[in-house]
Amino acid sequence: MPAETVKSSWADEVEDESNKGPLPPSTEVFENGFKIVTEYKFNDDDKKVKIVRTYKIEKRTVSKSIAARKTWPKFGASKDDKPGPDPATTIVSEDVYMHFLSAKEEENLKMEEDALEKLKANPEKGAVKCRTCNGEHWTSKCPYKGSDALAKVNMDKKPIGVPGAMGDKAAAPQSKYIPPSLREGANKRGESMNMKRDDTLAIRISNLSESVVESDLEELVKTFGPISKIFLAKDKVTGNCKGFAYVHFRYRQDASAAIVGLNGHGYDHLILNVDWSKSQPINN
Amino acid sequence: MKPLMLQGHERAITQIKYNREGDLLFSSAKDNAPNVWFALNGERLGSYMGHQGVVWCFDVNWETTRFLTGAGDNSLRLWDVSNGKEIGKVETGTSVRTCMFSYSSNTAVFSTDKRMNTNCEIHIIDVRNADASLVNQDPIMRIPVDGSKVTSILWGPLDETVISGHEDGKITMWDLKMGKEVHSVHDHAASINDLQFNKDGTHFVSASKDCTAKLFDTDTLECLKTYKTERPVNSAALSPIMDHVVLGGGQEAMEVTTTSTRVGKFDARFFHLVFEEEFGRVKGHFGPINSLAFHPDGKSYASGGEDGFTRVHTFDPSYFEYQFDY
Repeated sequence: MPAETVKSSWADEVEDESNKGPLPPSTEVFENGFKIVTEYKFNDDDKKVKIVRTYKIEKRTVSKSIAARKTWPKFGASKDDKPGPDPATTIVSEDVYMHFLSAKEEENLKMEEDALEKLKANPEKGAVKCRTCNGEHWTSKCPYKGSDALAKVNMDKKPIGVPGAMGDKAAAPQSKYIPPSLREGANKRGESMNMKRDDTLAIRISNLSESVVESDLEELVKTFGPISKIFLAKDKVTGNCKGFAYVHFRYRQDASAAIVGLNGHGYDHLILNVDWSKSQPINN
Repeated sequence: MKPLMLQGHERAITQIKYNREGDLLFSSAKDNAPNVWFALNGERLGSYMGHQGVVWCFDVNWETTRFLTGAGDNSLRLWDVSNGKEIGKVETGTSVRTCMFSYSSNTAVFSTDKRMNTNCEIHIIDVRNADASLVNQDPIMRIPVDGSKVTSILWGPLDETVISGHEDGKITMWDLKMGKEVHSVHDHAASINDLQFNKDGTHFVSASKDCTAKLFDTDTLECLKTYKTERPVNSAALSPIMDHVVLGGGQEAMEVTTTSTRVGKFDARFFHLVFEEEFGRVKGHFGPINSLAFHPDGKSYASGGEDGFTRVHTFDPSYFEYQFDY
C-alpha cells in the first residue's frame, strides 16, 4: 500500500564532494508497519538525489482464492519487478474530491437572482435613486439624460448653502467648447474641484467601535440635518473602523446640534466623543 | 481521495474491468498488451503479450482462471490469468470488437467487425477444454448480423440469450437455441459504446454516442431511465451498493486537443439511478473517459481514459454520507 511517496526535493540532493562516485546502495527498512525505501540516483543535472518512499504495510483477511492470487509470480512486462508497487507504473496522484452538485445551491442562486429581478422591476420601492435628477429610477434610465433641462433641474435643486462655481456655470457662454466641469453629468467633479470645503462646518466623532461602517454613521448623524460629506477613518488592511470620523454638515446650526446631541451618547457599547474638528474662532 | 494512477499503457485505454472478487483489475488499450493489476495497491501483476494490434475488448471468467481478449489483429485469444501464457486463439476474418464469457464460462461469445464484403457476425464458442486446438475448432453457433455492426455485447440470464448493442443505437436480444433475433429496441440515436449489468443482472445500463445513458430491463429491453449529458457517453457503470450510476465520456478523440481540461468535460459524472439527476463529479483525466468500472464491493471505482491512464478511486466517507435531496 503506497501510503505516500516522498518525491525528491532540492533539499534531498546529496551534498557530496565525490559527485561522480558510485551511488550508495538502496536500502529497505521495516519500521512499525511502514516500509521505508531509500534510493539514490542521478537527476537530470547529474546530481545525486536521495529518494525516500514510505509504504504502509497493511494486513487484510481475504478469501483463499484471493490469497492464492497474491502469491502468483509476476509475468509479462512486470516479470522483473520487485514485490510491491513499481513507481514506474503505479503513481499515487494528487488528492481529488467528488464535487457534489447540490440542488439547494442552485435554488439559492436562483432566489438571489429573483431578488435582483424584483428590484429592477419595481424601482418605486425607493431603493433606486438617480444620480442626476434624484428621481426614483436608475441613472441610466433618467429622462433628463442628455438634455439641457438637466443642468437647470440640478441647479434648481442645489441648496443655497453650498458655495461653488454654480454662478459661473449659468453664465457660461454658448460656445462650442464646454469645459469638463460644465459638461453634463460632471456636476460632482465641478463641485469638488472648485469648492473649498468649509472645515468650520465639520465635526469630529471619536471613540467609535471597530465595527462601525459609513452607513451606520450616516444613520446616526442624518437626523440633525443635511450632510455634505462623511469621512470614516478605516484601517487600510482590515477595512475596520479606526475609531474616529469627520462629518461635514451643510449648516452650522445642524453641526452644533449634532455636537450637543451626540457627545456622550452611548453607541455600540462605547460612549461617543464629539466636538468641532477645528478649534473655533473665538469671535464665533 | 487519492487516486492510484496506473500507467501501463502507451495508448488510449479501451476497456477496464474488475474480476468477480475485485482483487484484480484488468485493463486493455490500443497498444497490444493488456495488463492486470492488484486493485488494492495498484501493483502490476503482469501483462499478456502476444497480440499484434489494438485490444478492443476482454473478459475474465468467474473463477479468474481464464482471460479472453479480442483484438484488431483479427484474432481472439484465451490466456491463463495466472502466468500470462496463451492457451489458444481463434482466427477471424476481421477484427474482434466484443467478447464475453458466459456466466458459467462454458462458452464465450464474440463479435467481428463488418468490413468490405465481410458481414458482422456473432460467434459462440466452447471454451471448456480450450487448448491450442481452439484455432481449428468450429464455433457452436454463428449468427450473421445484417445492418449495423455490433459494438457491445452481454450474455442474457441463464446463458440463454445474448444482448447486443449496435452502431446505429439498436439493442437486440438473440435467442441462442434458435440463433434468431427475439426482439430489438431502438431507443438510442447513435452508436452504443458500452453495456454493463447491475449486480444481479436484472437491469443493464447502456452508454451511447447520442449523449445519453439509459437503463434497460434485461428481460423485456424496456427503457426505464435516461441519463442525459451534453457529450457522447463512452461508458456507464452501476453501483452494486447504492442507487448510483457513473457516466464517463467526453467528445470525440479528434476534438480533444482543442479542449481544456478545466471545462470539466472529462469528469466522471455520478447520477442518481432513479431520479436521473446528476449529483456529483470527479475530475482527473486529461482526455475522455473510455471505460468505467465499479469495484464489486462498491467502495471504489476505476476509470480508464483516452490519456492512457487508469485511475482507481477509493470513495471518501462523504460519498457514503451523501443523501440525495428530493
